[in-house]
Amino acid sequence: MTTLPMEYGLLLAGILFVIGLVSLLIRRNIIFMLISVEIMLNAAGLAFIVAGARWAQADGQVMFIFIVTMAAAEVSVGLALILQLYHNLKTLDSDAANLMYG
Amino acid sequence: MRLNDVHYLMPVLILVAGAIVTMLSVAVKRNHRVVFGLTLLAHFAALFTLLPLRGFSYQIPPFLIVDGWGVFTMGLILMTSLFVTLVSYAYFEQREERKEEYYILLLLATLGTCVLVISQHFMALFLGLEVLSVSLYALISYLRLREMSDEAGIKYLILAAMSSAFMLFGMALMYAVTGTMSFTDIAVYLRSMQDIPLLFLTGFGLIVVGVGFKLGVVPFHMWAPDVYEGAPAPVTAFIATASKGGMMGLLIRFITETDGYRYPSLVLIFTCIALASMVAGNLLALRQKNIKRLLAYSSIAHLGYLLIAFLAGNQLGVEAVSFYLVAYFITTLGSFGVVALLSDNIRDADQLEDYRGLFWRRPATAAIFTAMLLSLAGIPLTAGFVGKFYILASGVNTQQWLLVAMLVLNSVIGLYYYIKVIAVMFAQPEKKPELRKVLHPAVSFASGATMAVLALLLVWIGVYPTTLVQIIRGLLVTFMASR
Repeated sequence: MTTLPMEYGLLLAGILFVIGLVSLLIRRNIIFMLISVEIMLNAAGLAFIVAGARWAQADGQVMFIFIVTMAAAEVSVGLALILQLYHNLKTLDSDAANLMYG
Repeated sequence: MRLNDVHYLMPVLILVAGAIVTMLSVAVKRNHRVVFGLTLLAHFAALFTLLPLRGFSYQIPPFLIVDGWGVFTMGLILMTSLFVTLVSYAYFEQREERKEEYYILLLLATLGTCVLVISQHFMALFLGLEVLSVSLYALISYLRLREMSDEAGIKYLILAAMSSAFMLFGMALMYAVTGTMSFTDIAVYLRSMQDIPLLFLTGFGLIVVGVGFKLGVVPFHMWAPDVYEGAPAPVTAFIATASKGGMMGLLIRFITETDGYRYPSLVLIFTCIALASMVAGNLLALRQKNIKRLLAYSSIAHLGYLLIAFLAGNQLGVEAVSFYLVAYFITTLGSFGVVALLSDNIRDADQLEDYRGLFWRRPATAAIFTAMLLSLAGIPLTAGFVGKFYILASGVNTQQWLLVAMLVLNSVIGLYYYIKVIAVMFAQPEKKPELRKVLHPAVSFASGATMAVLALLLVWIGVYPTTLVQIIRGLLVTFMASR
């Protein structure tokens, strides 16, 4: 059985990561920004699994489970915040949420 | 898990238990005073169990290590969190919102930072970092009826999650190259290599992005002013001190463990970051009319100073970092404590105009704030001066002349805007300030006493730094000896 070299997997993870980063930078809707961050986190998770497969260790997958758990916690806080923000501003445009110049 | 592990992890376990007990007590009955008391108790107990751990270096393989550096940073973080708790009581007592959950989140954030500084494995690092971050999102937007608070929370959340993703990707690359996630084994791998593989270097660069974001150094500083302004003043104090200090503690452990100073490229990256932080932080602070934003830029500059000592890398450098962290924590806690003390239930006292003539209204508060600002500026007889002197000594010791010259130059620029605030405080008020609803004196007693203690510590360390230096040296013996 031939196995794929590790670089392919890392390349895929890298491309996913860049897609997430670019969409985070160009999207203006906060929900989409949150989704972009999720893509980046999952790209990192994929990279961990690829690396774990290379060394035939379970560590990579353990780390992936940690990442998924943490992403879920983050999204739950994030969505609560977005609800509150929508309640205040009546929009999800991130440019509107700019009371402090920054 | 062995029985001995429990002994060495006691401070962390107590924080966990404290958070759970506090949560249960909120579930039974909401009482601000009880929750406050429980939080204080957890802090005292954790500090008490931390004391006997001095002078040991204990491994809990593969994740954690409790050594002198860990004990020092944990103690510092616990003290910081204790002071933040003390200041928070009066701050939240005058607000109608539910105030009890705040203390649970604060305990969890402290727990995350403590795990961060004793980690020696990427998994423990990640776990500590995320416990800290997720608690901070909620803490920043805690006053949810304020629009600015929500905005600051969501900004921090998006940017912190992004920086976590960067850091994780960097860790994954390092793991792919080395096949291990423990710092010690990475060091072993690096020693066996002539030069660093490209993939490893990329991974390290990505981790620097994550670390730089948490430290709030240029060019990863954009979140700092907005989050500082939007967060409640005690939370701002926590972000400026414990969260940054925890990251600094981790950075020092990682670089010392892997002997990162051998690589000129890494040293160059941190030199550029230090220079940019000092210059940009001080120049941007010059035009600020908002005290919280001013302190945000000032803390960016201070992290730049701190990186000089970090770059020195030897025994003296680590000592200087430790000393400066203590001095910086005291002054920052003091400054934001004053802001919290003067805030009312509608908004925080963050405009420069709120401080006009403060000396004639509240002489004691103004005097403490003056002392804190002078310490930030690095005037003699304050802790900030000794800290800066220590950094200067470590910089000269390793011949980093450019950094040392910039430090001196930037201290002069910094002096301008600190003095400006002091001048405003001593100016005669133009109009009679409208009377505000004043809290019962007993409520703000804890805050007032905390401020007084901080001011005393500031002057004591500034006049007689020997005690602190000896404590730091004693603790660092077990950390530096193993190198």
